[in-house]
Amino acid sequence: MQNAEQSTFISSLTRIILTILLSFFIGSIIILAIGENPLTVYGVLFSGAFKGQLGIGSTLAMFTPLLLTSTAFALAAQAGASNVGVEGEVFLGGLVAAYIAGFWTNLPKPLLYILAFGGAMLVGALWALIPALLRVYLRVSEICVTILMNSVAIFLASYFVAGPMSAGATFSQSPPAVIRLTQFFRPSRLNTGIFISIFAFVLMWVLMKKTTLGFRIRMTGTNPSFTETVGLKPKQSFIIAMMISGALGALAGCIEILGVHGTYLDNFGANLGTNGMLISLIVDNQIMGVPFMAFFLAILRNGAMAMQQATNVPKSIVDMISALFIIFATMNITFNFVSKRKKKLQAAASSADLLQETDGKIQSNAESEDQAHGSK
Amino acid sequence: MQDYIIEMNNIRKSFGSVQAIVDGQFNLKRGEIHSLIGENGAGKSTLMKILFGMLDPDEGQIKVRGEEYSCLQPKKAIALGIGMVHQEFMLVNDLTVLENMILGFEPRKGWQIDFNEAKRRALVYIEQYGLHAQLDKKISEISLAEAQRVEIIKTLMRGAEIIILDEPTAVLTPQETEGLFKILENLKQDNKSIVFISHKLNEVMEISDRITVMRRGAFVNTTNKADTDTKALARMMIGREVFLDIKRSEQEKGKMVLSVDDIWVPGDKETSKVKGVSFDVREGEIVGIAGIDGNGQSELVEAICGLRKIEKGEVRVDGKAINNQSPLAIRQQGVSHIPEDRNTRGLNRQETVEDNLVATVVRDAPFSKHGFMHRKAVRSYAEELIEKFDIRPPMPSHLTSSMSGGNAQKVVVARAISDVDRVLIASQPTRGVDIGAIESIRALIEQATRTGIGVLLISADLQEILSLADRILVMYEGEIVGSMAVSEANEEKLGLLMMGVKEGANAEC
Repeated sequence: MQNAEQSTFISSLTRIILTILLSFFIGSIIILAIGENPLTVYGVLFSGAFKGQLGIGSTLAMFTPLLLTSTAFALAAQAGASNVGVEGEVFLGGLVAAYIAGFWTNLPKPLLYILAFGGAMLVGALWALIPALLRVYLRVSEICVTILMNSVAIFLASYFVAGPMSAGATFSQSPPAVIRLTQFFRPSRLNTGIFISIFAFVLMWVLMKKTTLGFRIRMTGTNPSFTETVGLKPKQSFIIAMMISGALGALAGCIEILGVHGTYLDNFGANLGTNGMLISLIVDNQIMGVPFMAFFLAILRNGAMAMQQATNVPKSIVDMISALFIIFATMNITFNFVSKRKKKLQAAASSADLLQETDGKIQSNAESEDQAHGSK
Repeated sequence: MQDYIIEMNNIRKSFGSVQAIVDGQFNLKRGEIHSLIGENGAGKSTLMKILFGMLDPDEGQIKVRGEEYSCLQPKKAIALGIGMVHQEFMLVNDLTVLENMILGFEPRKGWQIDFNEAKRRALVYIEQYGLHAQLDKKISEISLAEAQRVEIIKTLMRGAEIIILDEPTAVLTPQETEGLFKILENLKQDNKSIVFISHKLNEVMEISDRITVMRRGAFVNTTNKADTDTKALARMMIGREVFLDIKRSEQEKGKMVLSVDDIWVPGDKETSKVKGVSFDVREGEIVGIAGIDGNGQSELVEAICGLRKIEKGEVRVDGKAINNQSPLAIRQQGVSHIPEDRNTRGLNRQETVEDNLVATVVRDAPFSKHGFMHRKAVRSYAEELIEKFDIRPPMPSHLTSSMSGGNAQKVVVARAISDVDRVLIASQPTRGVDIGAIESIRALIEQATRTGIGVLLISADLQEILSLADRILVMYEGEIVGSMAVSEANEEKLGLLMMGVKEGANAEC
């Protein structure tokens, strides 16, 4: 296992690095077209992300929600679910936290923390339960449902903050929260939420690696019919994974509200969920890869500001580069390029399989033909 | 010597570090049926794929009609008159039979495809060789045997003189196999050469003129059929004596463990795929269900195991109803299941051997405590099973997708048998598995009955049922059409019942 696992880890690592390099390369062509030196621009990008307390703090503040949203997506993906709804869950989590922290002000503060976090996560989990149930019992694609439900969540939140939950200011915002997560590394907006975020990630890692539930979720993701046959209840695991994913998304929203904004600002969490999904997709939904990629994306996002100030390059170039990541990562082209030479090595690993397949095909053939002809 | 139409010498082929073919030798005369036999993974298919140009050999010499080629492309091979019918039919389900036949080689009339010409050409072969095929049906509407004939016509239409058939009989009933053999004889009469890849020795002895045996990628021997017999062939294939006919120890048949009472089960498309089936299995008894694939056996098994809803009727284990309970609940009442499709239900190919072995018991102590997995316990359990069931390679951390078919199947069997308490449902336990593994899997199933377990054996392989079962039921169109003790059964009788011919009726079909 050590070997198999290590080699897949190394090959996905090389794949990711190549993907990044290729994206940067194409990015530099565009930077050249704008008339700047790509090396200088990238230099400013990275140094900006680590410049002083503000730089480092802002990067880490950006990292905090991204780690949660990407873990959320990756966890659902382990069970074979594509939870595109993390985006909406961030908004709902933030909304619930802002409501509890802004309106139930006469409750004792420690209780309020528990209620705000617990309430946000509960709502996120229930929100994700809807597409999970539709998928499991009615076979409706959870991707479609979650995409559509994102709009519902975002507009619902906008309505609440403009109407029933409005603080009466000119902007759409809720009354200030009476509980906050302590900010440090000022003037950046880094707050203690980062520890919660990291703790949640570690918990998820332990869940997937060490627990029986993690085993079931993994089995469900890799082969649901097998999981059903051996009696491990794949439907249940699917639903649980989706709910955990929803809760993590909502947790990200809750931390953003209590740690960064202190009040519900309309549209506060735009793209947090989407970026989380992108991060997870780049690392092939492997939980262990998520924090590295989340951190990298945080560097890019934060460095982009410095880059825009110091050069003529607009910060949207970073969006473009990260979009290129996704395209390359999903297309796997860089990977295939490298692996063409490695094909033979891989064939070695699966050669027994290949040999067997030539004979074993009969079986899969008989079965697939069965399905085609069987129920005439 | 010059009458060899094909000569392959000293072929070597490796995939990475694994030698698929170490020393491939094969030659073919004009107008003969030449069988190529060997266990799974012996390299038969690989060798023929090299001949057909799908794979390039690392070394070696291929001569077609005396002319030497270092490697071939499929296009080139077709031009040289070589055709191959693969195990997996290369047919487009949504096109008609005729359209499939001419795909890529369409006769044209101006801008359009000349279907009349195509039909005329196809009919030539259909009539000449008795390759009956309904040209206007879609592939999805015809039987496997007919699809196979379509494949043969396809190769003939492309001008094949040499036809390679890769395990053609694996999807056929005994009667359909007879039909195929007649066609092969016709082709042979017409001076076509046929390569027949198989590991079914009886068939090989029936149809071949000459036989080449391969073992572990190497050429073992080529003999004339007249000079050999199945025993000698098996010895050459395996390298030792084999005993496929399990000696059934006389078992005391105990009380009823599984009883199925008039159950009706819906299929994927039809309302009832199983129509009022009833039977019992007693302790220590093996009940075999014979039948052509698709006559409701799969649905019956899934229904018993809780994977498919039962509409009507009752399934009882030790007198307690278990119908429509969850697969887990049914398992917990002592029912263990060897699924028919190894690669989806039977194994999780993306996971390790140990995780596959432990999957049914993973929630129980000592493998799980307070929701946490105990990896060491899992590992030692896996190692124990690997040793007991002789699973190779003995690596609990290998992915099951990297194993040969026989060993992968052993993982499935090992899991089911070590977890079985009352009833073992064994569905196609040796399908696509080589002779050595067949021997050991059958022995394991037989051993299980000695501890008082009832076995329900579903198999498309009549010999398997005849050698293992105490009682045989035949399923046809969702019903049990015949039931007999093994002593009254023979292959012909079962074959006819499987085709829906009622006992006593004229055997014309």
